Amino acid sequence: MSDTAAVSPSAPNLIQRIRRDYSPLVIVMVSLFLTVLLAGAVFTDDFLTWFNVKTIIRDAALVGIMAIGLTFVTLSGNFFLLSMKEIAALSIICFATLMGAEWNQWGPADGDPATSALVATFLIAFLVTMVIASIAGAVQGALIGLGGNPIVVTLGAAGLFFGIGSWWSDNLVVSYRRPHGAEWLGTGSFIGDIPNITVAFILIAIVAELVLRYTTFGRQVYLVGANRAAGRATGHENFGMAIKCCIIASVCAAFVAVAFSGQVSSAHVNYFSSEFGSSGDMTIMVIAIVMVGGNSIMGGYGSTLRTSLGAIFISTVDNMMVLNGFNSGARVLAVGLMIVFSIIVFALVRRGSRAVE
Amino acid sequence: MADQPLLRLTNISRHYGAIQALKNATFEIGRGEVMGLVGENGAGKSTMVKIIGGFDTGYSGEYFYDGEIRRFGGPTAAEHAGIAIAQQELSLIPTMSVAENIFLAGDGVPRIASKGHLARKAGPFLDEVGLGHINPLRTTNRLSVGEQHLVEVARLIAHNPQVLILDEPTAALGETDSIRILEMVKRLKERGKSVIYVSHRMDEIFKICDRITVLRDGESQSPRAAADMDVNSLVELMLGFELGDMYPRRTPIARAEPVLKVRDLWPDGILEPVSFDLYPGEILGLAGQLGSGTSEILGAMAGATKSRGGKLHYRGEEFLPTRPKDAIRRGIAYCSEDRKRDGLFLGRPIMENMSAPALETISRNGILNGARERASTAKNAVKFTIDPKRLPQEAGVLSGGNQQKVALGKWLSISPGVILVNEPTRGVDVGARAEIYQILRGLADQGEAIVVASTDIQEITNLPDRIISFYRGVQIGELHLADMTSASILEQITDPFHEAGIAVSEKAL
Repeated sequence: MSDTAAVSPSAPNLIQRIRRDYSPLVIVMVSLFLTVLLAGAVFTDDFLTWFNVKTIIRDAALVGIMAIGLTFVTLSGNFFLLSMKEIAALSIICFATLMGAEWNQWGPADGDPATSALVATFLIAFLVTMVIASIAGAVQGALIGLGGNPIVVTLGAAGLFFGIGSWWSDNLVVSYRRPHGAEWLGTGSFIGDIPNITVAFILIAIVAELVLRYTTFGRQVYLVGANRAAGRATGHENFGMAIKCCIIASVCAAFVAVAFSGQVSSAHVNYFSSEFGSSGDMTIMVIAIVMVGGNSIMGGYGSTLRTSLGAIFISTVDNMMVLNGFNSGARVLAVGLMIVFSIIVFALVRRGSRAVE
Repeated sequence: MADQPLLRLTNISRHYGAIQALKNATFEIGRGEVMGLVGENGAGKSTMVKIIGGFDTGYSGEYFYDGEIRRFGGPTAAEHAGIAIAQQELSLIPTMSVAENIFLAGDGVPRIASKGHLARKAGPFLDEVGLGHINPLRTTNRLSVGEQHLVEVARLIAHNPQVLILDEPTAALGETDSIRILEMVKRLKERGKSVIYVSHRMDEIFKICDRITVLRDGESQSPRAAADMDVNSLVELMLGFELGDMYPRRTPIARAEPVLKVRDLWPDGILEPVSFDLYPGEILGLAGQLGSGTSEILGAMAGATKSRGGKLHYRGEEFLPTRPKDAIRRGIAYCSEDRKRDGLFLGRPIMENMSAPALETISRNGILNGARERASTAKNAVKFTIDPKRLPQEAGVLSGGNQQKVALGKWLSISPGVILVNEPTRGVDVGARAEIYQILRGLADQGEAIVVASTDIQEITNLPDRIISFYRGVQIGELHLADMTSASILEQITDPFHEAGIAVSEKAL
């Protein structure tokens, strides 16, 4: 009864609320960051053009989709899958091998293939890849759900998946002929000049957010993540939760692998280790996005919307640095700084909100 | 002694953002005095304790110690001046020996000392806190929680403090260990030390305190002699209004057909299988000290604790839950003793906490129905006297009493037939405690069957309709309403086989 009195009677306005809930340090840090961003936007040539905005979002799309999948794992309190890029590597080898398999050719090599054949080829390869990724996710999820440490389990799994992919492809580039069905996903566009992969990113972001907010599954993700013991006590076991979330993350990784393969008509196990994003390493990029979005590493707090915005934010900074002629080393440094920064701000924000005891 | 108090704080105010924790509060303690500091959760007790101990330096007001104005820069400065705090949370290093823990700060011992030397030096301090029978070389984590609390106090005494602050020292302790703490306070007082005793437990306050300072909403009442007060007048001071009877009236219950039969349930930590019946409309108490096995029995009935065997007969079904889900699905709700561990989702809104066990009732085909969730949680919140306007707030911002109400109230969402509650009012202030008792009784009157396990002797004497007592994993006996007195229960739960040879009347004092 004494704590009801603590809530002030008149609803405070936005500025008062911000000053009450966040420490001055947080406010200063966030304002500083926004200022740098705005200044960069104004003083960088060609930054505020429609073309560049499209580029930013397209760059954010592939890592963003993977990060959305990973967000489910993080929100449910199961930390991260450190095997994201290896799942993608296994998936891309699987997909490209099936696309180029002899039994899967669309008829005489000289003639143009029929659309139906293209679609059929693509669908078979796509579905098999998704099934394999789901199994990969389910195995990791089950081990984590049984009490395995997520770091150990997924690092071990990473080696396993990479090894399988590398062995399967003889560590060679697997390529397949254009035209093929995956082009449509990788480089095509059916709404004006917006790339399909951008559309997919936006759709996945919306669906993921709706699932988290309005379904019982989404609610369980938050509850189990917020307090695993209380989740168990109220009938929501982490075992099933870990499996489901790891499957979601793995399927997202596989989807990205398929889309990326569609762009380059080929596959290699190292595609996601060396040729990706500013830092080159897909797993680190994806984790960076989840963190920069402001999701709690401990789970139970955050959203895929935050992750999507985190992806766009990192992509924006990266883009700005490219336009200003920074090399990749500087860009990796920027991503690293953003992670550290977001963790600090996040910790301070949470402490601030707890102070309303 | 009141003319020249050893420690005196006047006009103390402390703000945390918009919240004023203390408003011009005053506190004093004389030499060789035991001062009780009481108040509801959120009344400012912890803030006062933190200020006295030098943990909180952001206050305004005057701090006199030993006749001089002081302002400690931190807890270490206060400790050097002779003010020591025993916090609720243990700060021992579990893997080190008792003696090493006592001399952790390294004061008063040579730079290089053998274990035997430390042990000899630690002996007197252990005697002081009533742990003379314990080998100082034992590893600390092999002691019971109560004994660890006593070791913590022994460590503070080793610094020879003038003022010792005990912040809810018995909150996590069973009856025997609590008695040890009280005896230690008496000994310290005889040696001229001052003790500030913070507690929710009225019986203890009256047993050992000379004077009592009441805090209410951050304001202090002038200290009163404990001898001039009784429980009712103290509670009235704490609440600002009269509480009436804390425990709801009990009427004899007709026990016809048991709703739940427990047969040969054998949880881990219990020496032999237990069987008992539970009747609709009754509150059954499981009495026992910490480690007596009552928690394990409740846990096993709910599928939260492993058991070696046994069956529950409930609603024509015979089963043994192996995980909480099994019990919840059948309408058995279980609220553990540690709400922060597994009773609440602190970072999530109260509403999500209230609906967590019964998501399927507020959803269709996996889609949540927001309106139905708001309606059902608001209804259950009102039953547990939680303001429905607070439902969107995080559960973590609530006071202990309100948190406990949420932890209990969430189970209404599954419309349970049986409610199992372990320590229903641990760390809960008097006002909320009375409310929780009323609510539990109200639920029983509606025909629910409730099992309460408690180590609080007052609570277990006055709340249940029937008691089954346990001692070190053995079922001792059953007491009906007419035979339920504190003395008879204490005898059964502390020394049923008359091993210690202490007369019960002595313990019940």
